[in-house]
Amino acid sequence: METGDGDTGNKHNRNGDIERSSVIQSSVGRRRFLQAVGASTAVGVAGCSGGGGDSGPITLGAAYILSGFASLYGEEAERGIEFAKSRINENGGIDGRDVEVLVRDTEASGDTAIQQIRSLVQEDNVDGLFGLDSSGVAQAVAPQISQLQMPFMITHAATPFVTSPQGEHEDSVGNEYVFRDSNSLAQDIYGAARVAEELDATEWATIGPDYAFGYETWDYFQAYCDGLGVEAEFTAEQFPALATGDYTPYISSILDADPDAVLTPLWGADLTTFIGQAESAGWFDQIDHTLFSVGMGTDLPSDGSPIPEGEYASTRYDPFVPDTETNNSFREAYYEEYGTLPTYNAEGAYRALYLYKEAIESAGGTDPSALVDEFTGMEHSGPVGDYQFSETNQATVASIWGTVTYDDEWESNVLDPVNRYEAGPDVLSEALGDSDLPAGI
Amino acid sequence: MIGIADVVIGLSLGSRLFLIAVGLSLIFGVLGVLNFAHGGFYMLGAYVTLAVISNVIDNFWIAAVVGALAVGVVGAAIEFSAIRRLYDRVDSDLDQLIVTFGFVLVIHETVRFIWGSGSYSIDPPDVFNFSVSLGGSTFNAYRLVAIGLAVAVLVGLWLFITRTYFGSLVRGTSSDREMAAMLGVDVPRLYTGVFFLGSVLAGLGGALSAPLQATSPALGDQVIITAFIVVVIGGFGSISGAFVGAMLIGMMQSLGPQFISSGSIAIPFLAMVIVLLLRPEGLFGGIGE
Repeated sequence: METGDGDTGNKHNRNGDIERSSVIQSSVGRRRFLQAVGASTAVGVAGCSGGGGDSGPITLGAAYILSGFASLYGEEAERGIEFAKSRINENGGIDGRDVEVLVRDTEASGDTAIQQIRSLVQEDNVDGLFGLDSSGVAQAVAPQISQLQMPFMITHAATPFVTSPQGEHEDSVGNEYVFRDSNSLAQDIYGAARVAEELDATEWATIGPDYAFGYETWDYFQAYCDGLGVEAEFTAEQFPALATGDYTPYISSILDADPDAVLTPLWGADLTTFIGQAESAGWFDQIDHTLFSVGMGTDLPSDGSPIPEGEYASTRYDPFVPDTETNNSFREAYYEEYGTLPTYNAEGAYRALYLYKEAIESAGGTDPSALVDEFTGMEHSGPVGDYQFSETNQATVASIWGTVTYDDEWESNVLDPVNRYEAGPDVLSEALGDSDLPAGI
Repeated sequence: MIGIADVVIGLSLGSRLFLIAVGLSLIFGVLGVLNFAHGGFYMLGAYVTLAVISNVIDNFWIAAVVGALAVGVVGAAIEFSAIRRLYDRVDSDLDQLIVTFGFVLVIHETVRFIWGSGSYSIDPPDVFNFSVSLGGSTFNAYRLVAIGLAVAVLVGLWLFITRTYFGSLVRGTSSDREMAAMLGVDVPRLYTGVFFLGSVLAGLGGALSAPLQATSPALGDQVIITAFIVVVIGGFGSISGAFVGAMLIGMMQSLGPQFISSGSIAIPFLAMVIVLLLRPEGLFGGIGE
């Protein structure tokens, strides 16, 4: 924090430590004085932990991937944060107080994310948390959030198990402090199965990253196809490690199986690399349909290999749908500011700030348990449309899938035509049929 | 079903591994240094090539040569300034490991500082950038070039070591350093020369692989472990062993996904365990083999 009680406490502590080391043998009186300073400092720090008081700026902490193969997502989130922050602060802030956001790099690692988030809470005394790009990271972080007793609004990481209450499934880690404003993998892949329903394709394959997200995507897709009665056979699957530089052996294996269609949740720079190498191998000539479940997060600002036109992709937010005043003005203003259409990671982070604004203003302060109460069941509206937080703290946002089309006006790939599939609790539970996978909503 | 493309892809993966593993093996065979920074050299070769193409001259071959030589200079500088001081220490193996690992971090962070942590890719040279369809499967023609260059390096290196005066000094020094020194061989200079050559080969591997993969700071970390496996399988210090080991591992990397959907990354480790159990010295052995 820049100002406020917490900051004062930290500075006293630091100064005390430095002085103590230099004078420790010179004077008992000074040592006792410093002990007293240390003790009072400890009280000061303890007194301000878990909140930033009720004056000065509101400080939120965010954790995204800012380096490595998926740093693009963090950069997009930072744009959304900056955009929301400047808009909120120019319009009176949150209850008259400016909002500040400290953004930390998770390096796509659960351990690093936990360290950063703990530091944000315990050293920077943030008033609330949001972010996360990776399912694996979210799965590791969620139990820690419960211990820290601080609300966390996930804006991208998609594993359904963080919004599935502990005990519902062996992997479930959902708890009262963890919320998600973007759509989950369970919602996203429900849309993929709905697309599959319409396609003339029976043999399906997947190529996804070798961790929870890759496997969950394939498990949910098969469960939904079964539940929805989609005539599909699952003939090949490949799970290369994250940051695999050369996908050709995996591409070759899928091409040998010769499926009609492939669902791929590859993401970040891995997706860009894959697309370039798949094109060279004749993938898009041989395979009738490729469905990219995370494609549009990377694709809009991509200067590498974009998704070829005519393939299918999903997004957690579409800049053109819904065709509402809120969405249209957000898109126009964002484009004017940054020269690109807003990606879903920018919109998810943008909306997290507005969710905190609404919760803090409604609660009349930043008490963590009051904010959790505010978020629970909250109805909200943003560029993504109207939604509500479900009983498991998952936003009831739609699953959005469409055909990738290059748009000359925006100089970018867009989804056109695009479909929004309502993906609320009842719809997902029914579509999962007899599967033991949780709907996470 | 295994197609011709799978074999070509496997051999091209093997070619990349050979270029890094042969330098690693050469340095270990002559200097006795297990150079952890070799993966970093490979990555640096790819980055310098990309940088030359984007900023200086849009010619892949010139850029690749510049990339390889630049890495050679970096390698020689590291040997001259740091590793040379460790040869005469008691238990110098551990010190060498720690120092070369330190350079892994230095190279990694320097690359991140200059080029960021994102990934880059380039197309193969225009003349070879087309698809070849054989037996119903497709691969990029540049892969054949990569294989041909690896074979050329194998032959060239073998001739260099076995037929030249410098090569005889290298073989002699690798057999008995003290005796070579007594006979008047300038051992420190020879060591720097061998380290330069090994580094050039790693840099060349990175440069030639740049069109076939994404170049990111993680590139070196990914490849160094596999290169060690190649060297263990082929036999430390053996040039032909590095070639056979690299091609074996390349084929495993290419064909593995045909049989198992995940975890094919573990197959080379399994192969290494088998070789270590049955033939601990590796399939081949010694400089000049």
